[in-house]
Amino acid sequence: MGKIIAVHSYKGGTGKTLLSVNLAASFAKLGKKVCLFDLDFRAPSLFSILEVDDAQCWLNDYLNGACDIKKVMVDLSSRINGNGNFFAALANPETEAIRDMSAKDRKWEMRALGRLLSLRNTLLNDQEFDYLIFDTSPGLQYSSINAIVTADFVVVATTGDRSDVSGTRRMLQELYNLFEKKTGLVINKVLDSTSKSKKNEMDTRIKNVYQVPMLGLVPCFCEILRAEGNLIFVQDKPNHPFTKILEDMAKRIDNNQIS
Amino acid sequence: MTREELLSKKPLRILEKIKENLESINDKMEIMIELQKHSHKENPILPDAPLDVMTLLSMPDHLRKTAMTICRYGRATAEDVAQQTSRARAVESAYLNQLVIMGYLKKERKGRKAYFYADKDSQG
Repeated sequence: MGKIIAVHSYKGGTGKTLLSVNLAASFAKLGKKVCLFDLDFRAPSLFSILEVDDAQCWLNDYLNGACDIKKVMVDLSSRINGNGNFFAALANPETEAIRDMSAKDRKWEMRALGRLLSLRNTLLNDQEFDYLIFDTSPGLQYSSINAIVTADFVVVATTGDRSDVSGTRRMLQELYNLFEKKTGLVINKVLDSTSKSKKNEMDTRIKNVYQVPMLGLVPCFCEILRAEGNLIFVQDKPNHPFTKILEDMAKRIDNNQIS
Repeated sequence: MTREELLSKKPLRILEKIKENLESINDKMEIMIELQKHSHKENPILPDAPLDVMTLLSMPDHLRKTAMTICRYGRATAEDVAQQTSRARAVESAYLNQLVIMGYLKKERKGRKAYFYADKDSQG
């Protein structure tokens, strides 16, 4: 049976969307059937990154109980090389929709959790998807915690920023532990990642500070900034080191080699 | 059916009825025990409280495990929950009834089985 992976972080700007899109594309390149979900309802971005403007329904509508998940998913398989399937379910970027989503009550959030959990049946069981990837909002928000509770595995993106380190540590201990979630940490925007001393420092930090398995170190690449969000890196730059790192992460998740 | 056959089936049916009644008494007693526990505390009993993720976060660990299983299944018996959590059925039954008393879950009887769910609209 397939898996649900949530990509989350304590602070914004840690690279969740970059990781989600490229992880999903890496799985698709491995021949998997994947759907990428934009659960960042406060700042939707996948519609723009994936250049989709013909979605029949938004993910917002599905969570509102107004439409079927099949009407939300857009087939983008033609954008990826190989025989995998790449779908996306997008959040509505209109200001009115963002305002509406941030004003939901607890009962709605409870039902939204039920609808996310039921994707396990409709997509993983019935439609035989291999991976559902949830790109979330940073921090402790309803939509993100709903995504974490639903997921089988959570990828936590973090950087070396002081405020991010302490916040991420607290979040891992006080949120993920309570829900007994399997977690993998990605440290993004690492400077001098090739130097041995830096690698050792990172290893020690992960062991002492975060106490969760490491999924990967992603160096700071100027090419990613230069691309200005116009590229799906693992697809458009197949030989770039970033692509290699992401493909390695996808393979390790797929082979259950996170420790 | 011969008279002998009818007579031999009757005690079986009576025994089954007794078992059913005992199970129903057992369930009621579990609720009474939980109610009694609550009457010592100052916790207000909330009717129809939503079982959202923030509520799950603030729950004691033992109840969170049970409540999350119901969230995952949508609707389940104490037996189903016990299989998932690897705890005894009677323990899960007590926790589930406690969650009912707290207003987070609802209980519905179908024949001899008692089903628990959080919300009619999101039952699996």
